[in-house]
Amino acid sequence: MNTPIPSDDTRNMKHGKEYWLSLRDRDDTDAYRSLVEREFPEGTMQLASSMNRRTFLTLMGASMALAGLTSCRRPEEDIVPYVSLPEEITPGNILRYATSMPLGTDNASLLVDTREGRPVKIAGNDRQPVTGSASSVWTAASILGLYDPDRSQQTTLDGEASTLAAFTEVWKSRYGTFVESGGKGLALLCQPFASPTLHRQMNTFRAAFPEAIVAVTDPVSDRAILDGNAIAFGRPLRPRYDFTQADIVLALDADLFGSEFDAVANARAFAARRRVSSTKDTMNRLYVVEPTLTQTAALADHRLRLSAGMVPACTAALARELRQKGLALPAVVDSLPVTDAVPSTWIEAVADDLLAHRGRAIVAAGRGQNPAVHALVALLNDTLGNTGKTIRYAAQPYAHEAETAGFTALADAMKAGSIETLFILGGNPVFDAPADMEFRTLLENIATSVHVGLYDDETGHACKWHIPLRHYLEAWGDVSSIHGHLGVVQPLIEPLYADGISDVELLQLLVTGAVEKGYDIVRKTWAEIVPGLDERSWRSILHDGLYPSAVQLETPPLNLASVAATMDTRSFVPLLPSRENMELVFRISPAVHDGRFANNGWLQEFPDPVTKLTWDNAALISRKTAEENGLTDGDLIRLSTGNHEAPMPVWIMPGQADNTITVTLGYGRRTAGRVGSGVGFNAYRLRRADAPFIDRGLRIGPAFARHALACVQDHHGLDTERMAREGVRERLPQLYREATVDEYAAHPDFAPERVELLPLRNQWEDHPYDTGHQWGMSIDLNACIGCGACTIACQSENNIPIVGKEQVLNGREMHWIRIDRYFKGEEEDPGMRVMPVACHHCEMAPCEQVCPVAATSHDEEGLNVMTYNRCIGTRYCSNNCPYKVRRFNFYNYTTDLPEVMKMAQNPDVSVRFRGVMEKCTYCTQRITRSKIDAKRDGRVLADGDIRAACEEACPTQAIIFGDINNPDSRVAKEKANERTYGMLAEYNLRPRTTYLARLTNPNTKLED
Amino acid sequence: MNTPKPTMVSAVLKEAPLVQGGLTFRGITEKISGIVEGRTPSLWWLLFGMALSGTLILAGSVGWLIYEGTGVWGLNNPVGWGWAIVNFVFWVGIGHAGTLISAILFLLRQRWRTAINRFAEAMTIVAVICAGIFPAIHVGRIWIVYYMFPVPNQMDMWPNFRSPLLWDVFAVGTYFTVSFLFWYVGLVPDLATFRDRAKKKIKRMVFGALSLGWRGGNRQWKHYELSYLMLAGLATPLVLSVHSVVSTDFATSLIPGWHTTIFPPYFVAGAIFSGFGMVLTLAIIARRVFRLENLITVDHLEKMNKIILVTGSMVGYAYIMEFFIAWYSGNIYEVFAFINRGFGNYAWAYWIMFLCNVITPQLFWFRKIRRSIPVMFTLSIFVNIGMWFERFVITVTSLSRDFLPSSWDYYSPTTWDVLTFIGSFGLFFTLFLLFLRFLPMISMAEVKGVMPEADPHHHPDAHHPPDTHHHPAPVEKGGAA
Repeated sequence: MNTPIPSDDTRNMKHGKEYWLSLRDRDDTDAYRSLVEREFPEGTMQLASSMNRRTFLTLMGASMALAGLTSCRRPEEDIVPYVSLPEEITPGNILRYATSMPLGTDNASLLVDTREGRPVKIAGNDRQPVTGSASSVWTAASILGLYDPDRSQQTTLDGEASTLAAFTEVWKSRYGTFVESGGKGLALLCQPFASPTLHRQMNTFRAAFPEAIVAVTDPVSDRAILDGNAIAFGRPLRPRYDFTQADIVLALDADLFGSEFDAVANARAFAARRRVSSTKDTMNRLYVVEPTLTQTAALADHRLRLSAGMVPACTAALARELRQKGLALPAVVDSLPVTDAVPSTWIEAVADDLLAHRGRAIVAAGRGQNPAVHALVALLNDTLGNTGKTIRYAAQPYAHEAETAGFTALADAMKAGSIETLFILGGNPVFDAPADMEFRTLLENIATSVHVGLYDDETGHACKWHIPLRHYLEAWGDVSSIHGHLGVVQPLIEPLYADGISDVELLQLLVTGAVEKGYDIVRKTWAEIVPGLDERSWRSILHDGLYPSAVQLETPPLNLASVAATMDTRSFVPLLPSRENMELVFRISPAVHDGRFANNGWLQEFPDPVTKLTWDNAALISRKTAEENGLTDGDLIRLSTGNHEAPMPVWIMPGQADNTITVTLGYGRRTAGRVGSGVGFNAYRLRRADAPFIDRGLRIGPAFARHALACVQDHHGLDTERMAREGVRERLPQLYREATVDEYAAHPDFAPERVELLPLRNQWEDHPYDTGHQWGMSIDLNACIGCGACTIACQSENNIPIVGKEQVLNGREMHWIRIDRYFKGEEEDPGMRVMPVACHHCEMAPCEQVCPVAATSHDEEGLNVMTYNRCIGTRYCSNNCPYKVRRFNFYNYTTDLPEVMKMAQNPDVSVRFRGVMEKCTYCTQRITRSKIDAKRDGRVLADGDIRAACEEACPTQAIIFGDINNPDSRVAKEKANERTYGMLAEYNLRPRTTYLARLTNPNTKLED
Repeated sequence: MNTPKPTMVSAVLKEAPLVQGGLTFRGITEKISGIVEGRTPSLWWLLFGMALSGTLILAGSVGWLIYEGTGVWGLNNPVGWGWAIVNFVFWVGIGHAGTLISAILFLLRQRWRTAINRFAEAMTIVAVICAGIFPAIHVGRIWIVYYMFPVPNQMDMWPNFRSPLLWDVFAVGTYFTVSFLFWYVGLVPDLATFRDRAKKKIKRMVFGALSLGWRGGNRQWKHYELSYLMLAGLATPLVLSVHSVVSTDFATSLIPGWHTTIFPPYFVAGAIFSGFGMVLTLAIIARRVFRLENLITVDHLEKMNKIILVTGSMVGYAYIMEFFIAWYSGNIYEVFAFINRGFGNYAWAYWIMFLCNVITPQLFWFRKIRRSIPVMFTLSIFVNIGMWFERFVITVTSLSRDFLPSSWDYYSPTTWDVLTFIGSFGLFFTLFLLFLRFLPMISMAEVKGVMPEADPHHHPDAHHPPDTHHHPAPVEKGGAA
């Protein structure tokens, strides 16, 4: 094996499975090899018949070596475990490391559990004050990306296998020429980043090659926000919201808790103001204006369905209203275009509310809106006195944001043929660059194009060279965060595949022409950042995962003249789409992001929080528009804008603005890998450079085929069958209980009293559940945004298999915790309600009673446990489960799991065979581990020692798990809340999981 | 035997003779034995070939199921039970007629049962075999299905005696055992007849062994009749219990549409209904093919039609009462479950069921229809279809839309579901055709017992008025000819 950082341990590993390694050189004998190659040592079957002492010793020796094989590759450089443990890995114990995940500039601070040297589970870093242990679906699922067998493993030249060394030689031979010419003919295209080391290297690169073109691009950039703030403040600053101080939040086409920048932190802070423990507590109010339902709308108190092109006009109308009501806005506001398509009552009510909460409100616009809107929003916040109180601005240190101009300049240069060598560092521009740029054609003009990426993807195929990029869990790097800290990206495992290079190593190679180790490069940067960095402080930074670095939270003076100058009618003209001139809105995928996670099975099977679609994207369309065009769910139509055209299946979406079609980016990959290739439809083919998020002039053709869409909810007929719809409407108030804050104040017990609980008596003596630990869970519906982070965290923690689109279509998805999504109100313009549902661990569990073989039973601590070995798979338990949270292994879903992916599995949790029922265990393995730890340390198990994976991941801390027998525990306190109710508790199930009823805080002026 | 006296009843309600066409004891023996002793009809070979192909389909689809996993069926998350359980209940239901005819009608002194009881009992046993396959193969891990049995083991693990599925194991197991014994005991005198008539040594030895040394002596008859009576007494509660227990699979659960106290009697009525439907279907074919019109007369068929009419009406009553109780309960989930049955996404299945089980059997109020072979044959097929759909409606509609709308889903069978069901018919007919070919399909001894000649006071030569020939004769008397 040819690892760039060979360690002693890896030298002789030639014949075993690639990513395992032997510990002893002496075992590299033929006999040993055959032992490794065969799962069962040769001759073990003969032991009984013929064995002498010599063969016995031979076999035992080989077996011992085989046992040693389970320990694993550790990086050569010292990385520091989060908790202090013996220096060597103890098999069976978890070692936690702090690291960071770079995702554009939206970096996450992480804690990664490693088992015997392999990372298995990702959670947020508790030391990170803003996000804590929360994770997003992308951070949690990135563990699977590490073990993706389709990640590129080999440098290629013109599609033929080559090596990194070969490329290094080529570059070294050219390096001198480029240095002399100042980088003439050289170009570097990379993705946005916020990293001290990359920042330093980029500066060096620019200095070394002043003539070279450097472009930073991202298919979903926040350029408009930064540009808008540049108009307002003279610098491209990012708004930093303090939701904990905000009483009123107005989101203008901004999915603040979903796809926008820093969504996890936003959601966490916002939910803090929704934690109502008694009628005395107040809560915030959220207004949302948007064309398509988003996660953010799940918590909205009022939602205005408005096509995206109307949002500027809506903002203008609001500004005008505010000025009329006496807010000191410039007179130019009055000249902004007027429209009657925005309901004036709505605008008036919101304006009054904002004025009544000056300095305690937030107005936020999304990245899809144009810079002038952002400038106006900055002005509104400034005039309302919010700036400096609920909103501050900051420049992210060491960040390189995406720039449209740079990318266009690069494209022009490519077209002109003035680029000789192009480096594409990360990203997949052939797939995701605007369609009118025709990036693939442009690449043909480049003599030497080099793609460095995790996958040999569309761009890799189109480039001359492709070099595998290291995954962030196996390479050194660093990040900076908008939250005021820096972090080191530590590799937690030796690179799985021999050939490859990390981004810092590559830039170093470009800049210096020499190969350097990532560790040395990063360490050098940090020596500059941290004065007097010694081994001790370095280790402490690695240990914590965070290094405080002041991010200046500014309250910059607003340049009124500049903002006023942008308030021309052009940017605010009401663009109401019509049947002839439809609107097209592009959205980032909540699952596969911009397409970069397309080969991640967990994410492909992750149900979109709003549409609940898996394994596909769709053209979201309102029922009215669909009916006008004679379309129905699953109809395959052709969307066309200008010269661009793409097929897309139709999905009728409640709450969708009429004549607006929303498409999700990131699908339709051609060469993503065995999971992601050919999944969904490519919306980038419709995207123009000057209309990245909202486009007009969309035409839709008639249905020309059908496409099956795998939705995990609302299968069949719910929307069309009147009887079913009415049945749902009748029962939802009992299942999902909610009230307005006023109703709550008048009637605090509304939730438990919504359904009468008859006094039930057991014929027999109840089992006493009042001693020892009694586990329970409380889920706050007032905080849940339905993001699904719990689903993915649970999937990672509990080795939950993916089943594929066909099986999802059959209704066989396996998620142990799912998010039920309901709509409230009329179909055209409904509210959205979300509800996480996992096993409720009922004390009177219907499943336990009916299992003929007692494979599911209750334990002393109230857990409803599954004995997989005992389960024969009658599925009776699932039939009798009122929550339908049990999952059956209809097939052996793990049989084809690539060997390398097995490394992502949690060794504490058994992998289930086909024919076995499974379900949420309240993370029983974590309970047991914490109990053992407490016992070993001779202490009492404290509240919070055990966190279920879903609880740990939840961005809004909506899920609380703990000992309900301990009155001081958080869960016991939550359950004492008067809003607590048990779903379907009237069936005498006594569920251990209860819900806190949802509250809404409507504006009385807007109540119908 | 007491001297039977002509009573007013027998004088007024003149019974038509149960055996027609002037058949004598000898004629009956010749007729029934002839079927088995004669050449195998080519029609039999044809049917057997088809049935055997069906059995092979069953073997193939079960093999594929075990190899690949339960996923080859159309089941999904809310609908954990589909065609397999529907088929199980369907076959168990069919298996009700035999024991009912032989045991309950025996105890009720319904002498007309003798023409069809053997046949119906054989059908019962074959149907229960078919039924038994499904619970076994529907589990996810068939190789450890023995965990369901209370086998002492080193883990000290016992089955969960609270589970209705376990009750099923016992109920169906017991029912099969008793039904089989009852059938076999009834066969003994006829097997002895076969033994006595056998011309080949092997045949003589086989039937000799099977007939357990039957000689037809008085003591043997005395013991035989007593044991037959006792087995009938044992089997009678089983007829009622087995389907009651099967119904508890549903009734003890929580699911709206399953959780219903009416289920045990309703299931038993449905089972008898479906059982008679199947007996009728088979009897109409068999009497035609084997020319048994004089033994299985139109009177017999009419009596069965009456039972179908009664049980069909009971089933219809249950259907309507379920709706009423759901509404009366005021439970929204319960109400919805039933409205959904009638008007939801499986309404088509519900109305097929309703039509076949409730409406068409009402035609049997008319004597003409009760006695019309083609019409009753059609209606019996309807009953079979309707009762299969009843189980489908109960099992699937309730599961597909239970409490939380988020988990609702639609269930459709796959090819493998369908093939397994077709295959089970193959197995049914294979075994049944083997029975027809090798064993007496009508109980010779018992039929003779209900003939006037069995009456010790019967004197064909004397010139008694004809009605005295037909007073009730004891069923217990008969002969091995």
